[in-house]
Amino acid sequence: MSAATAESKTSYILDKLQSLSGVIPIGAYLLDHLWSNSYALVSIEKYNQVSGDLQTVPWRIALEAAVLWIPILFHSLYGFYIWSKGKSNALSHPWMSNWMYLLQRWTGLIAFVFIGWHLYTERFGGHGVTRYAGVAEDMANPLYVAAYIIGVVACSFHLGNGLWNFACKWGIAITPKAQRAAGWFGALVGVSCTLAGIVIVLGFHYAWFPLGGYVQ
Amino acid sequence: MAEKTFIVRIKRQQRADESVRWEEYELRYRPHMNVIICLRDIAERPFTRGGVESTPVSYDANCLEEVCGACAMLINGTARQACTALVDDLEKPIRLEPLTKFPLIRDLVVDRSKMFEDLKRTHCWIPIDGTYNIGEGPRMAPAVQEKGYPLARCITCGNCLEVCPKVNSNDSFVGAAIVSQVRLFNMHPTGAMHSAERLDALMGPGGIAECDNAQNCVKACPKGIPLTESLAAVNGQVLVHAVKSWLRGE
Ligand code: HEM
Ligand code: SF4
Ligand code: FES
Repeated sequence: MSAATAESKTSYILDKLQSLSGVIPIGAYLLDHLWSNSYALVSIEKYNQVSGDLQTVPWRIALEAAVLWIPILFHSLYGFYIWSKGKSNALSHPWMSNWMYLLQRWTGLIAFVFIGWHLYTERFGGHGVTRYAGVAEDMANPLYVAAYIIGVVACSFHLGNGLWNFACKWGIAITPKAQRAAGWFGALVGVSCTLAGIVIVLGFHYAWFPLGGYVQ
Repeated sequence: MAEKTFIVRIKRQQRADESVRWEEYELRYRPHMNVIICLRDIAERPFTRGGVESTPVSYDANCLEEVCGACAMLINGTARQACTALVDDLEKPIRLEPLTKFPLIRDLVVDRSKMFEDLKRTHCWIPIDGTYNIGEGPRMAPAVQEKGYPLARCITCGNCLEVCPKVNSNDSFVGAAIVSQVRLFNMHPTGAMHSAERLDALMGPGGIAECDNAQNCVKACPKGIPLTESLAAVNGQVLVHAVKSWLRGE
């Protein structure tokens, strides 16, 4: 047998790109996004300054398309395709990693719906340039708060469990011990993102600035 | 004194395209029975619980000591070897079904040639001769032997494929056993001379990228083979091989 034909390698490359895109850029962006939104926990002025800077970067549309929209669309649509090729059996084989396999898919779906709605309400609809007051107005609505918490939990779980998957699937964590360590690392990332996200949402809801201690 | 008995329920099908029929047998209990003994008892006296005469149940078995792999089936819903499934340990009634991920031949017998075909497709053997004697190969370091031995215990039973969400009629994934054999043969000093062919094959359709890490395989393997370790190790090998061939424009 000679080298695999170009055509037969396509699915390998697409699978690998789907996997990679989950970490870079999408996962990295999720961390960055939680970071920049954490300024809402410092002060209104700081938040408006940081988000204003972010929303006036040069080549904004091209940058967003290249780093966010295209990777997220590719990761999601190809993710749905991967999902469709598997047949989950977590009910008949209820092992923890098997539930994780199923949850990775459902949290992906929730993330997809959430991101679509989040883009519609915060990016394209209404404000154009987001300011603290605009977000706080949305977050006054308890339904928004609930939707954001669900979205944040789903995205955080999906990233945390995804990092574990990634470590196994790229041959980074090979032995069971290393895979367990990667699992704990993923859990740490997932729990941290969940907590940060929830605190930010509650910060907007209650006009609460727990990290504003240094602001005079 | 009444004899102690227990019930075995068996999913039977004459052919894959025939309708399913469940039969119940009441068997005389003896200590230390395994599931193969149950099937032999039925073959001896194929009368269902209702007293209706049936036919002996078709099943595969050979070694009766968990080394040939032939007797894999679903026992109370769990993919495992019938010869090491002891009646004493099983919940009654005992439910027997054929594996679902392989084409059914009859009753509990399935056709597992997919695994053999995939072993061939992935070059899972070591060529020791060409058209002439190619001489002795390099020696294998004891440390490598020690790593290889557990992988060499695979009995091609197919339990790891049975429990894998990505092995099904929608997907051509070769499954954990084959990937683990690629690792074994790539580890072998003579086998390593052909590692590129194995890695290329695993880059193709049904190859390693199909693995989505549900990690069921390792829990179902009767031989305790570290399948998730093999999958991760071979994933790394394929990746390095892919990047290198790409950089070299191969
Ligand atoms: C917040 C946005 C998202 C992030 C940060 C993210 C991140 C990740 C990461 C890190 C992985 C692991 C890569 C791997 O399996 O090797 C992954 C896998 C996956 N993602 Fe996402 N993802 C996001 C959105 C989505 C969406 C919207 C879907 C749509 C269903 C999706 C579907 C999947 C699937 C099916 C896998 C598993 C692939 C596999 O096991 O091979 N993801 N994701
Ligand atoms: S790896 Fe284990 S479960 Fe899979 S075929 Fe080999 S022995 Fe059976
Ligand atoms: S008869 Fe050989 S493994 Fe059971």
